[in-house]
Formats: sequence, structure tokens, C-alpha cells
Amino acid sequence: MASNRRGVGMSAFSNSAISADQYARHGQTLRSNHAEALANQLSVFQAALHNFSLTHAKDIRQNPQFRAEFARMCHAIGVDPLAGSNVKGSAGASGKTGSVWAKMLGSSVNDFYFELAVRVVEVCRETRAENGGMIAVSEMRKRIEKGRGIIGGGIDVTDDDIERALESLVPLGGGFKIVPLGSSRFIRSVPKELNLDQSTVLEVMQILGHVTVSMLQANLGWERARAIAVIDDLVADSLVWVDSQADETEYWSPAAMHDG
Amino acid sequence: MASSSSSPVPPTLTSAYAAPPPTTISTASTSIVFTFPTYTSFPPFYTLQPNLTTRARQLTLWSNLLTTYCAHHRLFKLSLSSLPSNLFANPSIHRSLSQPDIRTVLAHLALPANGGRVEWIPTSSRAEKPNSCWVYWRTPTEWADAIYGWVDETGQKGAVLTEYEIREGEAVQSQEWRGMDEDLLRKVLGLLVKRGKAQIFGQEETAGVKFF
Repeated sequence: MASNRRGVGMSAFSNSAISADQYARHGQTLRSNHAEALANQLSVFQAALHNFSLTHAKDIRQNPQFRAEFARMCHAIGVDPLAGSNVKGSAGASGKTGSVWAKMLGSSVNDFYFELAVRVVEVCRETRAENGGMIAVSEMRKRIEKGRGIIGGGIDVTDDDIERALESLVPLGGGFKIVPLGSSRFIRSVPKELNLDQSTVLEVMQILGHVTVSMLQANLGWERARAIAVIDDLVADSLVWVDSQADETEYWSPAAMHDG
Repeated sequence: MASSSSSPVPPTLTSAYAAPPPTTISTASTSIVFTFPTYTSFPPFYTLQPNLTTRARQLTLWSNLLTTYCAHHRLFKLSLSSLPSNLFANPSIHRSLSQPDIRTVLAHLALPANGGRVEWIPTSSRAEKPNSCWVYWRTPTEWADAIYGWVDETGQKGAVLTEYEIREGEAVQSQEWRGMDEDLLRKVLGLLVKRGKAQIFGQEETAGVKFF
């Protein structure tokens, strides 16, 4: 009796050809099923994210920790919550992805960061004569919190929020940059970049609030001429204030001028 | 960190005539200690800044300090030979604006472009530099409006008031201009005369004012 289960001989080949084909078709079906399931999942997720941001719009606006977590989650799944925020309503300018997400997340996240960015720019402009265009993120936050309006009027704004808002300005150009100085972070709103010596002096200045030429010589091992040259630069850029009533002329960072 | 010291508070007279509450200007209270802004504890504040951008900002802060300090202490005039000890100086940080720098600051604030909050009072001799100045924490125009407003609201149009009454009378004890310098009041009344809102009769001591 011949068994048709035997996998050898001519029939074996046609069996395997048939199964290969079957496997292929099955694989195809699986893939398309997967794709469909994925597409479904994605659209469910999109709807959920949209609803989430609408439901929690108030929390996103008012609770800084929640807001930070929300932003982190967006970044973790590869979504920039602010993408397309500067081209509201346009389908193609910043890529379909951008404006789709902006629509999904609801306008309140965008609005919050946009308003915050505008306020940051205003404060930089208002204080430029006083600090030469360098303001600590913490001082920016304090000034914004004291202000009126939607931003600052009882809404908690964190240093994190400010830095994110500034990032959203990057596509607009305008030269706003975060500059770390020692343990503090500063917002630089003037185009001129500090060279290494200047940054170093500003960093040292954060410790006591001021420096003297002798202090720079002693602590940094600089020659007097070098220290004086850097100080002169900083004064010329209105980055420091001069106190000539001390035993040796002191140069002060304006950061502490209005500290409560 | 900010040093706050109070100057002796003049005793307030109780008023038998209840003046109606002022509508435009609120009365300054001298019973609360003046709070010095934080920047008065910033040592460089007392050095005229060499960088002109920075200096412009510094002078704005001086203008604010001057007007709020004088408004709080009800100082209408400053005399360079007898300045309040804690206005241009902060003893707790051993810093003070030098006399020449004080003059520079006041001269700057006297410019109309910078708000005209200070006006030098001319000396008898033209050759001399002025030694005192008005501090307009309210401008003469604002004073004129306030006084006229009070006259109007209290139904005193048509009555004749003495300059003394306007400055020191019981009826004005709750008004911001009480205790105003004679010369300044005369200047203010002059504005109202020009506007056709007032007329002055008689001389210095017995001058009377009628409002229309």
C-alpha cells in the first residue's frame, strides 16, 4: 500500500511546494492582519491621546509635574508635542505628522508653551539693559510668576517649562540659547557668544555674586592684564555692574539685584 | 537683606470735618514703614555705572526709588545740604552715592525726556548752582487736578479759601497734598489760574483763592 505521507520522491516535492505556497500565503495573511491590527491600534491610540489631552487640558495647564510627565511621554513615543505649533492648521508646512499631532493633543498644550515663550522673550527684552542679555532661568521663572495674565497668574511655571518653551522658539531663529554657567542655567538673548574666559568669570561670579581682579588672578592663575581685559569686555557688554566703593573695585552679577 | 528704617512720623490731626474720599488719588500712609526695594542693597547701585546702557537702567531705578520714597515720606522738596540719611545711602552695606553723583542723578531726572520728576529750585544768584529741588511724585498738573477735584466734590466752588486752609486745614487732613510747601502750592494754583479755574486775591500771607 502506498502512503501519501511519505516525504520522499516526486510527491514529496509537490507536497513541499504546496506547503511552501501555503505558508507564504499564510504569512501574507498574518502580515496583513498584523498591519490592520496595528493600524486599528494606532487609530485607537490617537483617539485616546486626543481625548486624554482634552480631558486633562486643565491639568496640563495648571500642574507642572503632570505637564512634564506628559511631555516626557510624548517624547518617549517619538512625538514632539510642539511640532507644528508654529504652523497651526497648515497641512504640509511642517510635515503631516507635525500638524496631526498638534491637532490630536489639543491646542491647550501648544498655547501654554507658546504664551510662555512670548513672555520669556518679553522679559529678556525688558531686562536686557540691566543684565546684558544673560538671565538665569530661575530668575526668569520668578519674574514670570509675579506677572499677570494667564501665564503667571497663579499658574505654576517650572524651569523645565521655560526651557521647553525656548526650544519651541528654535525654528523661529532669534538666537535664544540656554547657557550653563557653573550649576546655574542662563538664557542668552543676545547674539554675541561668550568666549571661554568670559564664561569662566561669569561662572566664578555666581559663587559670591561678585569678583575682583585679584580674585581672578588668585583663583584662576591669570595674569593681571588678562583678568582686566575680560572684565572690561563684560562691562562693555553690560553683563556686570561696577562697585567702586570697595577696597578693590568689585564687579557684580546683576542676578541678585532683585532677589526677594 | 534690605535695610528699612522709618523717619519720625508727623502726628496726624483728627479731622472734625469729614472730607469725602478722594476719587483719583489714594492717600499715602505714613504709619507704614517704607520698604526699600532689594536693589538698594546691591552695592553697585551707589556707583554711577560706566556703561551707558547699564547707567540708563540704573537711573530709572533711582527715579523709582526717589519718587516712591518721597511719596511715602511726603517730601515735596529735597535740599542737598540736608538730605535724608537713607535715601542716597545704605549704611548697612556701607555704600552711598557721592554728592557729585547725587547731583548728576537729580539733573538727569530733571530732564523732561526722563520724566521730569525733579525740578531745580533756582537760587537768588544766577551764578550759583541750585541746592534744592522739587520732587514731583505727583506732577504739578496732577496736583492741580487733585486740588480742583476736591474743591469741586466738596461743593467749595465759588467760596474763597486761604492758601493755608488748602495746605494745612482740617478739611484736607486726609488729602495727599496736605503739608505741601507754600511755594509749590502757589505754583500749582498758578496752573489752575492759567486754566481759568481759579483766581487769587491779595498778597502772600492773606492770599485767598476762589475756584470756578
